[in-house]
Amino acid sequence: MGPVELLHMSVFSQSFSPCGRFLAAGNNYGEIAVFSLSAALSPDASEASQKPILNFTAHDGPVFSLLSTDTHLLSAGNGEISAWSWAELIKKSTKAAWTRKPSYETSLEIPEINAMIINPKDNSLIVGGGDNNIHIMDMETGIFKSVLKGHTDYIHCLCFKEREEEILSGGEDGAVRIWDARTNRPVHCIEVFKYEECARPQFGKWISCLATDSDWMLCGGGPSLSLWHLRSMSPTSVFPLPGCQREAVFYQDLIMSVGEGPHVSHCLHGGTVKAQIPCTPSSLNTLALNLKNSEHRVMTVGGSSHQIDVFTNFSYRAFSLSF
Amino acid sequence: MRTQITSSATVMSSDAVKKRKPKVIRSEAGAPETKRGRAEGDQDVRVYNEEVELEVRDPQQDYMLYKDTCAALAKLMEEIQELKAGGAKVQSVEIEERRTQCSVHFITLKKLNRLAHMRLKKGRDQTHEAKQRVDVLHLQLQNLLYEVMHLQKEIGKCLEFRSQHEEIELVSEEEFFQEAPAEISRPHVTRDDQHQLTLARLDWELEQRKRLAEQYKMSLARKEKIQKAIEQKREYLSSLQPGLQNIMQASLPVQEYLAIPFEHMQKQAEVARHLPPPLYVLLVQAGAYGQACDKNLSVSISGDVDEAKALSRPPEDSQDDESDSDAEEEQQNTKRRRATLGVQLDDKRKEMLRRHPLSLCVDLKCKDGSVLHLFFYYLMNLNILTVKTKVSTTTDLSGAVSAGELLNSESLLNCLYASDHGKETPNPANRYQFDKVGITTFGDYVSDLGHPFVWVQKLGGLQFSSGGAQSGLTGSALSASHMERTMKLLRGRLQARLALHKQFSSLEHSIIPVSSECQHLFPAKVVSGLVRWTTMSCQEFTELGFVQHVLKAGLVHETDLFFMATVERGTARLRAAVVMNPRYPEVAPLFSLSLHWKGERSGRTDDNLQAMESEVNVFRSELQGPRPGLQLLTNQIQRLCVCLDVYLETESQVCDGSEGPKEFPREKMCLRTARGPSRLKPFKYNHPQGFFSHR
Repeated sequence: MGPVELLHMSVFSQSFSPCGRFLAAGNNYGEIAVFSLSAALSPDASEASQKPILNFTAHDGPVFSLLSTDTHLLSAGNGEISAWSWAELIKKSTKAAWTRKPSYETSLEIPEINAMIINPKDNSLIVGGGDNNIHIMDMETGIFKSVLKGHTDYIHCLCFKEREEEILSGGEDGAVRIWDARTNRPVHCIEVFKYEECARPQFGKWISCLATDSDWMLCGGGPSLSLWHLRSMSPTSVFPLPGCQREAVFYQDLIMSVGEGPHVSHCLHGGTVKAQIPCTPSSLNTLALNLKNSEHRVMTVGGSSHQIDVFTNFSYRAFSLSF
Repeated sequence: MRTQITSSATVMSSDAVKKRKPKVIRSEAGAPETKRGRAEGDQDVRVYNEEVELEVRDPQQDYMLYKDTCAALAKLMEEIQELKAGGAKVQSVEIEERRTQCSVHFITLKKLNRLAHMRLKKGRDQTHEAKQRVDVLHLQLQNLLYEVMHLQKEIGKCLEFRSQHEEIELVSEEEFFQEAPAEISRPHVTRDDQHQLTLARLDWELEQRKRLAEQYKMSLARKEKIQKAIEQKREYLSSLQPGLQNIMQASLPVQEYLAIPFEHMQKQAEVARHLPPPLYVLLVQAGAYGQACDKNLSVSISGDVDEAKALSRPPEDSQDDESDSDAEEEQQNTKRRRATLGVQLDDKRKEMLRRHPLSLCVDLKCKDGSVLHLFFYYLMNLNILTVKTKVSTTTDLSGAVSAGELLNSESLLNCLYASDHGKETPNPANRYQFDKVGITTFGDYVSDLGHPFVWVQKLGGLQFSSGGAQSGLTGSALSASHMERTMKLLRGRLQARLALHKQFSSLEHSIIPVSSECQHLFPAKVVSGLVRWTTMSCQEFTELGFVQHVLKAGLVHETDLFFMATVERGTARLRAAVVMNPRYPEVAPLFSLSLHWKGERSGRTDDNLQAMESEVNVFRSELQGPRPGLQLLTNQIQRLCVCLDVYLETESQVCDGSEGPKEFPREKMCLRTARGPSRLKPFKYNHPQGFFSHR
């Protein structure tokens, strides 16, 4: 990676290890870098500890999604999913445990995979991507058991509601679809851009971020980031954030979201934007919270830069890891 | 009286008849003559010799006689006295008798007195004689003692005598007995006698020396002969010289006819002898390289040979100082206020920066006829080489305004090797020399004296420790190891610049020259067009808002060239700020984009513009074109135009929400217009299918 390549690098995905001491990040060149949080957060951290302990090329295309199970790191490349054992990665071994491809209909251009979630109830992996469909794979056998069709454009983001066992998907076509995981049938379809309070036609209609917390749902993208009450299927608050949001999470009583613009937005449920914390990248793609490890409780964000900002106190940027 | 005494003595002692001795000791002058005469005449006459009598009389008896006589005399005197007292007459017989007795007694007394005197005298004489004898003996003793001492001294001197023969180193005895012939060594004698042995050895030494002297004379004579022979031969050779010259002259036309510039090379070799060592190394290596590998390289020497000759002689002040413009620059740099000191400093500076009168000119010819002239100079006191350049082309190059800096001789050779700026002297010792004369940086003099690039030093075989990895080579080996690469780089640089020159003149006319080999990289129809191509200064570049990320990443240097390209389509205007490293095309130009269309966006705010930047910056290897990759820049600009087309045609949003006619109808074939979380557009062109896809 020369300095010119670093200049044009974008980080698209992040995932913390099960123990919470390591962070894996994927970029647009198809590389995955593993950082040691314990080294970077230790009192005698140096510049070298902000560099990855392991950096390897995992896929041909960009790594748009990373997901950690209890033992493995799952990464999504151009139409394929690879699994890497965390234990092996920590030992700097870059051999994939397995690589699986969902079955695609078209073959001219391989569709990307934008989102992956795990259904813990039946241990299945749910992926959505460029072919407008949601594929569900059984983790034990590795067989793609079902395909959920319904979106008319590619899928940006996926979300899972555990209590009701429902899958939520947001796509480029502007619809948020809710699927029943047990029956694999569509339950609802919300076209967010049709709601006046949320719609922003100057940007577009796509939905690029989804998050749920019991009955609440966050969604945003072309339309403004809005908080929805799922029972009534209506937006309760709309957040006046200028850019298009790409990832949003519920954290305690805050909503944190990142997207276009070099800042992390802290918002309150009521619809006010409490704070906008500045970051290094000029626009952000991914936000991750390390809640598994109380010692290394950090928030990391990555975007159109080769640097990943680390927030130890969520109110300001502490330092940056760099590829 | 004497005569009287003699006769009386004769009278008194008639019994003693002695032979009269001629030797009568009475030494009165008159007497001896008389005595002698008488003695000779009267030998028969008996003469009474009282001295003889002296020997027979006994002194003791004489003493008794004297006492008796005195007593008798006293008695007689008494008697006379009595008689006279008794009234007798003076002439009485008794008194007369007594008087006569007294007179006799008086005569006896007189005789005794005489005898006493004579005895005394005799005794004295005897003593005197004995004394004399003792004295003589004493003298003899002294003499003998003196002689003894003298002899002892002489013996001592003899014993101490260091003969010269002891200073002569003689061969050892064994050698002597072995080597010397029998007549000299005479062993039967010398073995016993040390003296003879030494003599023999000395003889042998003498013999040997004589022999050696003989040999020496003979050798001298031989040497003389040989000297003469040499002299003769030398004369003969020098007599040949004019003949050879004539032949050389006569052969000149032949050389020209056959195109072997033998004479020329001889002349050059002659001049080359006066070159300073680094220039000589450069000449030799460049000439060798030219002959072996590169027919289009030629080397020649220019400058004043006489001055160079003058330099190699012991110091005489050369009056030819270097250019006056040096002095002008130094006037500006002078720190002192007082004129005299300033002038002194100026002179010292000029002296320090003096160039050797000879310089090398290396010409690199390219296929299209353009020539890169390199002039190499040697700064004597600083021990560094500098280079100046000139480009001569077959065609006139005045077309392009933006190309002004491309062939500027000041910057043409910048960074031939990475970070070799040629602004500072590579010789660390010069720092101390500069401090002495108040020169702060060498950069001030570079435009006049030439650039001291590190590769120039290496070509001249000069290696300065500068912290980088050092090869163990010096001198010619160092020069040779760098020659080929440097020449290739120089040629590449010239060709790249000339190509850019041509390209720029085309770009300024809003035509992007794409060669036939590169047509496959782009679709057939490209609507966006280049409208402006200008050059920028470093200052202007750093003030642009959308290039700050490049500056922060440290990818911009002062030695870079800066340009601004403007691509337009309809209402959309794309500005691209270009940073070109002098080592183009080894180092690709870096583009930063800013789009003005319905608002201002840049690569920082718009992910798609960043993707377009990636297309030209990151995927540059696709755009290099045929070797040596001189079309990189124009291909990059063409690709930008293509990407702008895609960008504008795939923008489906309309400002006010209403679906109106799009400004840019979709013409490009794309499978998908958005992909991935950042919804990137398809910028990658696929040949020959002709559609666009995502990376």
